[in-house]
Amino acid sequence: MIRRIWLHRQLVASLMRRQFQLRYRQSLVGVVWALAPPMAILGVGVVVFNKVVGVDTGRVTYSVFALSALVPWTFLANSVILGVPSVAESPHIITRLVFPRAVLPLSMIGVSLLDLTASIVIFAIFAYGLGDGLPLTALWFPLLLFIEIAFVVGVVLFGSALNVFARDVRLAVPLLVQLWLFLTPVMYPLSSVPDGMREWYLLNPMTGMVESFRRILVYGHPPELGVLTGAITGAVLALVIGFSYFRATEARFADVI
Amino acid sequence: MDAIAVGGVTKTYRIGVGRARVREMLPWPADRWMKALFPQWWMRDTFNALEDVTLCVPRGTSLGIVGYNGAGKTTLLRVIAGVTSPSTGTVQVSGRVAALIDVVVGFHPDLTGRENVYLLGAVHGVERRSMATRVDRVFDFAEIGEAADTPLKRYSAGMIARLGFAMITALDVDLLLIDEVLAVGDASFQRECVRWLDEYQGSGGTLVFVSHNLSFVRNMTERVLWLDHGRVAADGPTAETLTLYARATESRDGGSPAHRPSDTRRLMVARGMLRWGAGGARVEQVHVEEGPEDGFLEIAMSYETTALDRAVFCIGFEDESGHEIGAAASPLLSLEGNRGSVRCTIRPLPFRSGIYFPVVAILSPDGSVRDRWRLERAVVIERDGEASIVNDFGPVQIPSVWVGAEARSISGTEDRP
Repeated sequence: MIRRIWLHRQLVASLMRRQFQLRYRQSLVGVVWALAPPMAILGVGVVVFNKVVGVDTGRVTYSVFALSALVPWTFLANSVILGVPSVAESPHIITRLVFPRAVLPLSMIGVSLLDLTASIVIFAIFAYGLGDGLPLTALWFPLLLFIEIAFVVGVVLFGSALNVFARDVRLAVPLLVQLWLFLTPVMYPLSSVPDGMREWYLLNPMTGMVESFRRILVYGHPPELGVLTGAITGAVLALVIGFSYFRATEARFADVI
Repeated sequence: MDAIAVGGVTKTYRIGVGRARVREMLPWPADRWMKALFPQWWMRDTFNALEDVTLCVPRGTSLGIVGYNGAGKTTLLRVIAGVTSPSTGTVQVSGRVAALIDVVVGFHPDLTGRENVYLLGAVHGVERRSMATRVDRVFDFAEIGEAADTPLKRYSAGMIARLGFAMITALDVDLLLIDEVLAVGDASFQRECVRWLDEYQGSGGTLVFVSHNLSFVRNMTERVLWLDHGRVAADGPTAETLTLYARATESRDGGSPAHRPSDTRRLMVARGMLRWGAGGARVEQVHVEEGPEDGFLEIAMSYETTALDRAVFCIGFEDESGHEIGAAASPLLSLEGNRGSVRCTIRPLPFRSGIYFPVVAILSPDGSVRDRWRLERAVVIERDGEASIVNDFGPVQIPSVWVGAEARSISGTEDRP
């Protein structure tokens, strides 16, 4: 399956191009929408967690603190929201054309990866404008991103395959993503989570993910292995399960879609 | 070397939506276990679209597939194309395949025609750079160059159909699967497509062609496979299989030479399918009698009239694709009473070998059509041993007398002085 996807890498590129062409066609303000999700969540975070609750972010400005986690978070959320319905949304090409079905969700992840650059730019602007700029540990970024991509690919492959058989998945996704956001220390620090709950928090692969991103992007510490372990385990598990489920069921997509 | 080898393929589908999908979503090998544990539950609500279909298509040849609606033609094409996998059996396909299944092509209605063509190229592994030079040719072929940069959703049905066929001309393929796409488009575009397919076959391409239009099948394919309820009913040279198929179409209509409009037919009248007319007089029953060895045709029809006292009766013929070939018209007859019958003998039949559908009609003296009814029963004409050089020039044999310096026939009549 990997080899077939590689042979169709050009198709992935074309599908990504299509997604971009389509997204802003017939919309009025276009590219603004790429920046909207992290900025909107940041706004909510500033009001609720910074002003109302008053979480302690140490010496770091709250918006820089929150954005450092919103960079990986928005990538996950965009990938899942675009990727999970991508297969079931294309019945006409699934039933008529032959190609590795995985290129559909993968190209959506590719699009989210490009959106990621937009949120990095926002983060950099905030970091240099309101904080101390980027520490040297930001060079860990590619490695962390690699782990996150593995996790996202696994989740999206599994979700998009399951969604072909049960459209419940697509309906559940927005809700789950929202809940997931609140249960991940994106808008508040992990240190503010009470001791008894923190172990549970670390079972969430995204906790380790955003904490590590925050450490390298804001605090200037290298990732802490204990925290990152959950993320790596989650990524490997998700990738194995997602990949094998997708491969086992993809031949039936055309029959049930 | 076979381009396609299909061995004992059965394709099972599940009927209905919803919870039946639970069975489908189990990944291998869990599905095998469930099937073994609960065979009855597993097989509930299923039907076989294909049953034990075996065929092979040698490279460079052409195969037509015919059959009634729901016979499994499109499923077979999908299985060969690899869009779906067979439930049991094997499919081996070699070469670069392109399938044109349905006329609805393209990826997304919001993308322009050009972008859609690029994407189709990407699916078939054509590089974007080499696609750039072909895209213009695609739109030239489809004769819709001015619409290349318009979103697909603003295309008319005809334009989409044209683009659908034109797209495949841009791909390097040596196995082409086409499902009922020539039925769309006007006659001149159809001719373009047929010409392109001829060239494609001439350059060694393999063609599998599904159509209800038997005259296309006859012209484009060497061999025909007839599918009936998912099984292979016949597989052989085009002329043989098509004749069998047409005869079956005949007997499917009851097998008797008498025809009475049934309730379903009345429904079809309402939909303007097989029968239409202004009313006032109608054909009640038609009786078609074929003479021995296709020497003549005798058609009797009984009529009922409510508004006409004089009428012209007509018996015309359409070919397999619905083209009107010609008609025999009665003189203006006066009708006595509300009911009656007329009888017409056509002798000799002016047709070459082929399949023809009679159309009976009643016209009022001013020429308006009161009732026009295309029979589903076909008249099959086989003229053995009459093959000549001009045999494929149209369906009608024109009776003629020739005068000339050397008007002596070289073959057949030499023994006559």
